[in-house]
Amino acid sequence: MPPAKTLLRAQLVGEFAEALRSAQGEVARLDSWEALAEFARGLDSEPVARRGLPLGGIATPRGVEEIADRPVGVTQAALAVAETGSLLLVEADPLDRYVSLLTRHLVVAVREEDIVATLADAFGWLARQPRAAAYATFVTGPSRTADIERSLTIGVQGPSRLTAAIVMDDSP
Amino acid sequence: MSSFTERYRRAARDPHLRRGLLDFQRSWRVSRDEQMERLERREGASFDELRREFARTKDGVLERIDEYIAEFRERAEAAGATVVELETAQDALDYISGVCRERGIALVVKSKSMVSEEIELNHHLEAAGIRAIETDLGEWLLQLARERPSHLVMPAIHQRRERVAALLGEELEREFDPNDIPEMVASARGGLREHFLGAGAGLTGANALIAETGSVMLVTNEGNARLATSLPGVHFVTAGIEKLAPTWADAQRQLQLLPRSATAQQLSTYTTCITGAQPGKEMHIILLDNGRREMAADAQIAEALRCIRCGACANVCPPYQVVGGHAFGHIYTGAIGLVNTPFHHGAEHAAGPQSLCISCGACAQVCPVAIPLPQQILELRSRSAHAPLWERAALRVWARPRWFRLGVRLAALASPLLRRLPLPPRHRWRRLPPIPWRGARRRISGRRPQQAIATTDASGRTVSLFLQCLSDALLPEAADAAARLLEAAGARVDLPRKQHCCGLPAFDAGDWATARRMAKQTIMALEEHPGRDVVTPAASCLIAMQRHWPQLFGDDPPWRGRAEAAARRTHDLAEYLETTARLPDGVLSGGADGEGDYAVHRFCQGSNLMGWDDQVERLVGRLTGEEPEPLTEAATCCGFGGLTSITAPEVGEGILERKLDCVAEAGAETLLTNNPGCALHLRAGAEARGMGHRTLHYAEYLAARLPADRLPSARLP
Repeated sequence: MPPAKTLLRAQLVGEFAEALRSAQGEVARLDSWEALAEFARGLDSEPVARRGLPLGGIATPRGVEEIADRPVGVTQAALAVAETGSLLLVEADPLDRYVSLLTRHLVVAVREEDIVATLADAFGWLARQPRAAAYATFVTGPSRTADIERSLTIGVQGPSRLTAAIVMDDSP
Repeated sequence: MSSFTERYRRAARDPHLRRGLLDFQRSWRVSRDEQMERLERREGASFDELRREFARTKDGVLERIDEYIAEFRERAEAAGATVVELETAQDALDYISGVCRERGIALVVKSKSMVSEEIELNHHLEAAGIRAIETDLGEWLLQLARERPSHLVMPAIHQRRERVAALLGEELEREFDPNDIPEMVASARGGLREHFLGAGAGLTGANALIAETGSVMLVTNEGNARLATSLPGVHFVTAGIEKLAPTWADAQRQLQLLPRSATAQQLSTYTTCITGAQPGKEMHIILLDNGRREMAADAQIAEALRCIRCGACANVCPPYQVVGGHAFGHIYTGAIGLVNTPFHHGAEHAAGPQSLCISCGACAQVCPVAIPLPQQILELRSRSAHAPLWERAALRVWARPRWFRLGVRLAALASPLLRRLPLPPRHRWRRLPPIPWRGARRRISGRRPQQAIATTDASGRTVSLFLQCLSDALLPEAADAAARLLEAAGARVDLPRKQHCCGLPAFDAGDWATARRMAKQTIMALEEHPGRDVVTPAASCLIAMQRHWPQLFGDDPPWRGRAEAAARRTHDLAEYLETTARLPDGVLSGGADGEGDYAVHRFCQGSNLMGWDDQVERLVGRLTGEEPEPLTEAATCCGFGGLTSITAPEVGEGILERKLDCVAEAGAETLLTNNPGCALHLRAGAEARGMGHRTLHYAEYLAARLPADRLPSARLP
């Protein structure tokens, strides 16, 4: 990889991490998918994951009842946005959405090379991807509310913890 | 829903509401400004440029609304959705309940949707035997309390934690500690979850409808919209037709402005885009008119359809801070609610909330789509003409210079006695001003001219001084001081004989026929010497001439031309003292008042509508060499606001209290302001509170330092 590109990528990773942290999200950097599986199991002995991820041994649930209120869920973002610290989840299948919405601690894998600079870049990508736009969500931090006396409370309908796991490996 | 008067009284009696909203407005303002500054740096463009650019996009949509609806419909239907365009609230209610009945749906889970509030969907579904559950926490709390939202974005902002604990306690059949908000939120999550699992349909609003792909964009923080659109088999979208955005790029630009303006977030937690029906499910997108096409066809109002429902107009609104959205609004709250309520719900529901607007212009300054809200509110007020009889009668008297002067004379005679009598209880937060026997006119023409202290571009010129009726009667010292400053700059001061009132009081009250009469009279008085500059120490009159006269004479080109010509050569005194009559730096330093210890209340409209900002501080600082004490919320309205402080005294009191608390904190000996109305109001309130500082028009402060003032012989009786 040419040095200029590496530098740019490091800058995007840094900007992304800072923006997500300011939205109460957490960031982890992992070398491989195996490391991610290990990371998830380190958080809870029985994490659940959306289908199609190379996470040997982690269960992929078949119904909402196998997902609701599980301690840890793992999913993957199609893109991440450095500007806003957002993770773009493309989830045509409702089961994928339940993983990202009904588990308590959500771990979102994103490949380092999938981090784009701006929200405009991400919208530009979505505008050209009709299938992704069927049901796409930018997630920026854990679920929150300030509806009771404006007191910020994390974790109302969705997860109360969100970790972006930046995977440096270039496979899938 | 209870009447406006009941809602107003309840709100005015609630000190917690006021305190809570004040804290909210202050913290929102700081965070919102930080976010906007970051956006400006990132985009290399000012907030004003960004909002005007996006406003142009929204205007373009409205100009070709049918084309965008057609494009959206085609794309969304190709993706399996059903798109219906409905004219009235009833049509939308019938459609939704019809679909529910056909599918045997007994429970609908709702994500936050203002359109569903607009059409009062919950109530209607309940009557049709269909249960609707709000799943946004704030909306759910309102539903449990059988209340309406008091804010567009934070619907339950008026509820206190004790109330929330009681509501949740009753619904979930257990006790809650009001101070354990995380526990209340966690329990609500559990309480709501079961409804999601059993619902036949989910209903959401839409933050944008993207025409190029037929997509719906939804912004939430809790995640409930995603649940409501995932678990049930039917998804209803209720949206106003104005929500269309041509492209994804346009929707993204909306996102630059929306969360920052709404909750001071760079981006809300969840931004979801859905295109078409999901496999095996139904999606019904309801595009509602309900008065929007009438708004679009109304040249004075159409820009209100740019609204993206961020609630920022409420977050800076001084009367909103005092009474909250149940009084300052109908179903839509805040300034935008005063504008769209007549179209969605009828003028009768708008009149009460309308009367609470003080026209300070703060909303126009923060609106992310640059809606001219203050102008539109005044326009609608003029159309509804709901003013009480006494108000109209008073304005008729005001409009006649002779009657007005006679009234002032009588008031001056009675003034010493009146000032000793107690005011009605609702008005005891202020004192009646002393009314001098000699008005400004006689005071100025009865003294020798002030000696010139410098040569300026005004030297040798004759300048017409527009006194303002209010200053002439109640604050003659200010008008006299203005005259002396002009004379000190070498000008001769002429008082146009027939000058009286610019029409602002009647304009504000919505009585535009009277306002036009007053304005024409002023225009004619100023036309007596059409070549002369006109200067006024009354900032409110200048703004009335430059901003309101064109609106007043919009349909009358000859008078509009004359009004514009007169307004063009009229100058605010502070501006004139910086330009044509520019006195040298430091010329008034070390004056009679000793060390400068002053703070400046900036007339709200001057800052919000004219962008004057620290104009007075700069002028006084430059001439005296003394720095002002900083005043928090310097440009926030003092609460004078035309007749509002008389018709809704609690609003006037609450706003003044906020202002005087800041004045007390600044601790300056002298409070200066650039508008006579503010000076009178601030003085009346400070006197009632027994505060030790003095309140002056800045011209008085400066003129007191002119050399002649130190020589007793120069003072004529």
